[in-house]
Amino acid sequence: MSSPALQPRARVTRIAQEAVDRARLTVVPRVRTRAPRVPFVTLVSLVLVGGIVGLLLFNTSMQQASFAASSLEAQADALAAREQTLRMELDELRNPQRVAEEAQRMGMVIPAAPVFLDLETGRTSGVRTPATREDALHLLPPDPIMPAVLAPKPTVVEVPATTPATDDASAAGTGTSRKNRDR
Amino acid sequence: MMRLRIGFVLIAMVLSFFGARLVQLQGIDPESYAVRAAAEGAVRIPLPAERGDILDRNGIPLADSIKGTMVIADPVLTADRAPEIARLLSERLSVDYFRTLTALRGRKEGSRYEYVARRVPSTLASDTLAELEEAGYEGISLEDDPIRDYPADDVAANLVGYMGTDEPLGGFERTFDKQLAGVDGEATWQSNSGKGVRIPLQESTLTAAKDGAPLRTTIDRDLQWFTQKVLAEAVQQYRAESGAAVVMDTRTGEILALADVPTFDANEPAEVADEGDLGARSMSETYEPGSVAKVLTAAALIDAGKAFPRQRFRVPPNLARQDRVIGDWFDHGTIRLTLAGIIAQSSNIGTVLAADAFTPVQLVDYLQRFGLGQRTDIGVRGETPGILTPGEAMTSQTKDRVAFGQSLSVNVAQMAAAVNTIANGGVRVSPSLIAGSAVTDDGVTVGTDVATRTRVVSKRAARATAKMMEKVVDPEDGVAPGAQVPGYLVAGKTGTAQRVAPDGTGYDGSTSVSFGGFAPADDPRFTVYVVVHAPRVDGGGGSITGPVFSRIMGYVLGRYGVEPTNGKPSRLPVEW
Repeated sequence: MSSPALQPRARVTRIAQEAVDRARLTVVPRVRTRAPRVPFVTLVSLVLVGGIVGLLLFNTSMQQASFAASSLEAQADALAAREQTLRMELDELRNPQRVAEEAQRMGMVIPAAPVFLDLETGRTSGVRTPATREDALHLLPPDPIMPAVLAPKPTVVEVPATTPATDDASAAGTGTSRKNRDR
Repeated sequence: MMRLRIGFVLIAMVLSFFGARLVQLQGIDPESYAVRAAAEGAVRIPLPAERGDILDRNGIPLADSIKGTMVIADPVLTADRAPEIARLLSERLSVDYFRTLTALRGRKEGSRYEYVARRVPSTLASDTLAELEEAGYEGISLEDDPIRDYPADDVAANLVGYMGTDEPLGGFERTFDKQLAGVDGEATWQSNSGKGVRIPLQESTLTAAKDGAPLRTTIDRDLQWFTQKVLAEAVQQYRAESGAAVVMDTRTGEILALADVPTFDANEPAEVADEGDLGARSMSETYEPGSVAKVLTAAALIDAGKAFPRQRFRVPPNLARQDRVIGDWFDHGTIRLTLAGIIAQSSNIGTVLAADAFTPVQLVDYLQRFGLGQRTDIGVRGETPGILTPGEAMTSQTKDRVAFGQSLSVNVAQMAAAVNTIANGGVRVSPSLIAGSAVTDDGVTVGTDVATRTRVVSKRAARATAKMMEKVVDPEDGVAPGAQVPGYLVAGKTGTAQRVAPDGTGYDGSTSVSFGGFAPADDPRFTVYVVVHAPRVDGGGGSITGPVFSRIMGYVLGRYGVEPTNGKPSRLPVEW
């Protein structure tokens, strides 16, 4: 404290020392307002439980999503594979060989030379040559020649004619075959 | 107090156990535990790159890849019920029952991995697996196994090539494998119970597969098919050994069709009768071109100012040159032919007489500029450069024979490009089979992007030669009326050459007959070259290959909408 403040204090002491003595400052006991514990604990537990449950739910939903993603992925894979298979089938159907066979079966042949029709004048250019059966292509390869191993020459066994000439033809036939069997 | 102490001691003991375990796990070899933990439930899925398609000029696939599957059996699980499983598998997948049965029982003792079927369309495989699981059979699993499919079977098979079990074995498949193959990727993640379901928030990596790039060719699939069919018919009809045909766009040099007969089904390469059929004979085997080369000689002579179409020649019955006598294919006395007549009648003697104006060096120089003796580099495997003796080393007798197309050898693309040079007004466009550009396994860049144009003969010389070639298909003056296309002006040249025996000991008596030409003759759009080797039925270039040329040319003109030009036919005299 600065010195001018001492002046009034000395004066007051002098005037009412007793009163001053009586009014001496004492330590006021602290007022302890006990906040209710229950709401706080409830709040904390709620936050905690909420967090845990939330985390659990979040995790579960992520797992669910993961399962869904896996199954969708598998489905996408299967569909992509099916699409590819179908595209392959389509390409096989577009095979010029197949188309030509089908067309030829319907009586169509590829002409020897083209003829053009001008749509505006209605006139044709080019020499009109009839497309005949001779223009048809041999679409299938020739049958393979059977290897000699699989087509052996027939074994011919000459049998001396021992049957009497008087016998008729059928009798001679049976006679020979019987003889063959006897050997 | 005592109780509390005992409690503390117990807790301390438990904690020290934990501590010891911690040191054991973390201090001593923590790596192996980490690896084991990661391996437990880790899933590694290879992501196979899809092989690039091989396309024709219109984007239609000549070869394409689809998702495929291999069916694998674990004999430990399948052996007991093998017959039932085998029956179902053989019915659904069309595999052999007994072979499947052996696989299911295990080919070796203790085996746990047996192939049942490979390259099964994955839809079929997964349907079959579902059916098996429903019936309660275990031990069958599926793995990725991409299928390479050739939708048009044998169309362009000699060029496209084919795939072996795991690697390309021929053709473009092998030459451009780097581009087509792509790079496989891989995905790893943590999974529970091995069902492939990902555990979220766990470490996972994904290296995406890099699919192969498609290869676009200049082939026209339908035209290629037609060319193969017509050629095969001729080869069969004349009981020939083999044949080849080329269709070329005159202006761009793009090869629209390059057919080889005999060929094979690219889906079943193992069923081919002769392994030589798997490659492109047209490019890998040489032959002597015969009289078609006369037009190159004639064009060169006209370009050099040493001859002209109406030039008169007195052609004797035979011509004695140093080592042997040169004759013509037809008997004649001394006839009076113009240069046009020499081409139209295909006279060897006349050509030799006309070519006398050239030294060997001059002739060979022209032929080299026409592209003979050098690879065309169109991207076909095993291409031969052919044989053209250098001019300095060439004797005059050899020169005489080279002038009419013997004693030199070529492949079909060389010859087609040479004839095309005349069609294209004297400018040689290098032929190409790949649209854009691609790099072969030898590191050569091929394709339309790198095609070159070089002037070989003047436009005037080329036109004059074309006019003479028109006479070849003339019904009265020429030798190949069968090569005409109704309504169009056609220019062409026949060739009938003796063939060198396979052992190289000289001519063996068989012939290579050919026809090269273009249409419309006054404004050429397409060049077609056909050659048939060793026909066993008598015939020449005009009668065997002429009609083949005519059919292919008629088809390609119609297909590309080329109208007849209504030009005036050549009126060059053939005799004087």
